[in-house]
Amino acid sequence: MNILETKGLYHDFSGLEVLFNINFQVEEGERHAVIGPNGAGKTTLFNVITGTYTPRRGKVFFKNKEITGAKPHRLARIGMGRSFQITSTFSRLTTFQNLRMGILSKRGIRFNLFRKLDKMKTITNETDEVLKRINLDGERDIPASLLSYGKHRSLEVSLAMSTDPELVMLDEPTAGMSKDETHTAVELIRRLTEGKTMVIIEHDMDVIFSLADRITVLHLGEILAVGTPNEIRENQAVKDAYLGEMEEE
Amino acid sequence: MRDKLYKWIPWVVLFIVLIIYPHVAGIYYTNFFVRFAIYALFAVSLNLLLGYMGVLSFGHAMFFGTGAYMTAIVLTHIEGFPLLPAVLVGGVTGGVLALILSPLLVRVSGTAFAMLTLAFGQLIFVAALKFREVTGGEDGVGGYPIPPLSIPGIISIDMKDQVSFYYFAVVVVAICLYILWYYTKTPFGSLIVGIRDNAMRVSYLGFKLSHTKAINLIVSGVFAGIAGAIFALFQNLVSTIGVLDIGNCFLPLLMAYIGGIGSFFGPIVGSAVLHVLEFLVIRFTERIGLVNGVIFIVVVLFAPMGLVGLLRMVKERWFTRSANQMSTGTSS
Repeated sequence: MNILETKGLYHDFSGLEVLFNINFQVEEGERHAVIGPNGAGKTTLFNVITGTYTPRRGKVFFKNKEITGAKPHRLARIGMGRSFQITSTFSRLTTFQNLRMGILSKRGIRFNLFRKLDKMKTITNETDEVLKRINLDGERDIPASLLSYGKHRSLEVSLAMSTDPELVMLDEPTAGMSKDETHTAVELIRRLTEGKTMVIIEHDMDVIFSLADRITVLHLGEILAVGTPNEIRENQAVKDAYLGEMEEE
Repeated sequence: MRDKLYKWIPWVVLFIVLIIYPHVAGIYYTNFFVRFAIYALFAVSLNLLLGYMGVLSFGHAMFFGTGAYMTAIVLTHIEGFPLLPAVLVGGVTGGVLALILSPLLVRVSGTAFAMLTLAFGQLIFVAALKFREVTGGEDGVGGYPIPPLSIPGIISIDMKDQVSFYYFAVVVVAICLYILWYYTKTPFGSLIVGIRDNAMRVSYLGFKLSHTKAINLIVSGVFAGIAGAIFALFQNLVSTIGVLDIGNCFLPLLMAYIGGIGSFFGPIVGSAVLHVLEFLVIRFTERIGLVNGVIFIVVVLFAPMGLVGLLRMVKERWFTRSANQMSTGTSS
């Protein structure tokens, strides 16, 4: 069953067409990678699906319900989480306070004005558990902006997972990381997304081929190919447009 | 247990000081304190937007002013209107105004928010000036009866007595400040801080931005309105210049910045500093704004987190230094 599906999606920025007839499908439980050269429209596709933009034409379905143009908070509430290419945490809040925000949302605590947050033991305990699981318990009370790059990126991904979404969309979670950091991050992602559906944008081919069940290749705003990692590796059109260029580098 | 006891000591001392203050200080200083308390509440309500949500309001006097006006008008036209409802009328008016403006204000932030609040503030200022039949124009509304604080059949305290009014004002302001402090500690309060840091992420985590911002705006408006209502009861005169003018928009801003927008208590300290300053400066010159402005520039340049922020920094350095000294002392 498809958990996420787009039908004939178009998007443009002041006439510049960025997405062109995108029919994108993600099956429930799979790890799906979106790859493509810079400017292929990967992040725009994410933005159109997760409610940052409303597509010019076409429809988006999540769990068989139409969600075209739905606002981010609504999507988060029905089980879609996302992380960002440019780290987007609460920079002045501590690691603990960052994740607590997600836990509050997960528990549906939005307009509680009658209890002190510090006194809500279940929230505190659950947040501390999450911190342990992602190996950030040593940085519990440090402002997010002071975390090392790798740890800050881990927090970014963990924040997307903190609301316990069914589908999580990760936008280049390992961008700018060293080899070691990338390795740690991939393990973290694998662990956190266990039993969930994940869509991931990546440039690092090692990460993609080790993590993804299926790959969609975007090129100049169109879907060039969809398939398993092996199928994509062998696909001539993909080689010409993208992989060949990567290998030459 | 002992720690808890120590924590209470400053509050008990403060409580006792507040009780004996009017009997020691005399009427002039008693009224001086009431003014400080009113503006402390006003500045704290502004800081819910400025320090907590991260938006700069250039028109906060509209909530204070409409609250003050409505209390004055109600007391003028309704005979025997009781005291506490008169205060509530001010709060409700400030809140309703915030509610009316919220559909526009929650959509913007940054400069646009500052300009929009400035525009609405001035709009209401001019409207109050022109709507002479109700607001009295430049003369304002004055001379209305100040109702006593009464519980029918049990007690009736005359609020024209300045010492009694001092106690009333201090209690109301203290209760309001406690409510606001508690508010900032709730899950909702933490959401507001999240919006300041990264509004987009707050919405991607499943919180509806517009509603959250609107509620904070309304809470801020309600308490600014209550401050205005106490002001109306205190002065027995409400006029546009004084409650709705641009000076009254900037005063709480100065207080918040000088005291420190990063702390709940900062604006209270700011109100105290500006009031004491005014008291000292007025002996030499009437140009208080000039002195306030210079202080503001100095604070922004050298202590951008305000006096409370400066105090925290000094305290931290002091602790690290004495900790270092202790460790070198033991090692040598």
